[in-house]
Amino acid sequence: MTDAKQDDAKQDEAVDPNAPVVGMDYFMQLEYQEQLCPVVREFADALMEKRLIGHKCPRCGLVYTPPRGYCPICTVQTTKADEIELTTRGIVTNYTVVTPVQYYGQEATEPFAKVSLQLDGGGNLSLQDMPNVPVGQVHPGMRVEVIWAPDAERNVDDITNRSWGSAEGAIRGWKPTGEPDAPIDEYSDKGF
Amino acid sequence: MFYSRTLAAKRLTTHTIEFPYTRTLGPVNSAFLTGLRDGQLLGIKSRDGRVLCPPTEWDPTTGEGLDVELVDVGPGGVVTTWAWVVEPTRKHPLDHPFAFALIQLDGADTGLMHAVDAGSIDNMQTGMRVTARWKSERIGHITDVEAFVPEATL
Repeated sequence: MTDAKQDDAKQDEAVDPNAPVVGMDYFMQLEYQEQLCPVVREFADALMEKRLIGHKCPRCGLVYTPPRGYCPICTVQTTKADEIELTTRGIVTNYTVVTPVQYYGQEATEPFAKVSLQLDGGGNLSLQDMPNVPVGQVHPGMRVEVIWAPDAERNVDDITNRSWGSAEGAIRGWKPTGEPDAPIDEYSDKGF
Repeated sequence: MFYSRTLAAKRLTTHTIEFPYTRTLGPVNSAFLTGLRDGQLLGIKSRDGRVLCPPTEWDPTTGEGLDVELVDVGPGGVVTTWAWVVEPTRKHPLDHPFAFALIQLDGADTGLMHAVDAGSIDNMQTGMRVTARWKSERIGHITDVEAFVPEATL
């Protein structure tokens, strides 16, 4: 039982210390470890050097970041030979505003936006943050550039084998470049 | 909830899945845990007159429902079997080596599984007498008894 749970129980008890105990709190916890697979590890290592990498499919040319080691459309393997360095500028292709519900473990309290990006030169990232832009101003077509975490703070702790490019320990988010919005033809129908 | 972290050097990710929930206790377990909160150990009488602790809702021999007729047991008892835990995990009741033991409390005919805080495996013996060490703040949980300790040390 966690301290928080015990605190809850104590509070209940404070209401009526003599009431029968009718419930029991359980705190099921399962912890396991796994090693990052090689392609994700290379992606994480590159982020620590302030580089974004991806794999370019040798058949169709689509760029995958984080690299997956295969192109699911062409069903071909991609390897280190297909690795390319990506730019750290791009276009917002879409966004979602999340209004936090205060469920267990939720730390956010205010609505925030998660954006999908198409990087200049290829590659798509999703679940990215725009920390300095009011939620109401986030829109498709915005031109943005990366905000790297400071050297001393940079980490890749939140990257897993099932990551989709969210790497908040290394990439703090994205900021508008101030350039005019991209025309829709530049990013429409190019994401996935 | 679900979260993960990576050990930078080894690129090991640790995943933690957590699921907090509350279950209702029913009449017998409710009485047992209410007793623990009040610093009291309780057993239940089976159809053949034996006293079961921990108490069950059903007679273990016939499967019939038991009347909620609870009797005081303990706080002392006898260790009937035990296993020494050399390296406790963080989920174990004590953070130093201890024994998991079946303790037949005075007045009971069955064993209650709990921790025995004996200090050393050398102090453990089948048949030894132990007694409950209560927590000062109790909430109605089996851990309200922090551990059992050898009677001789009191």
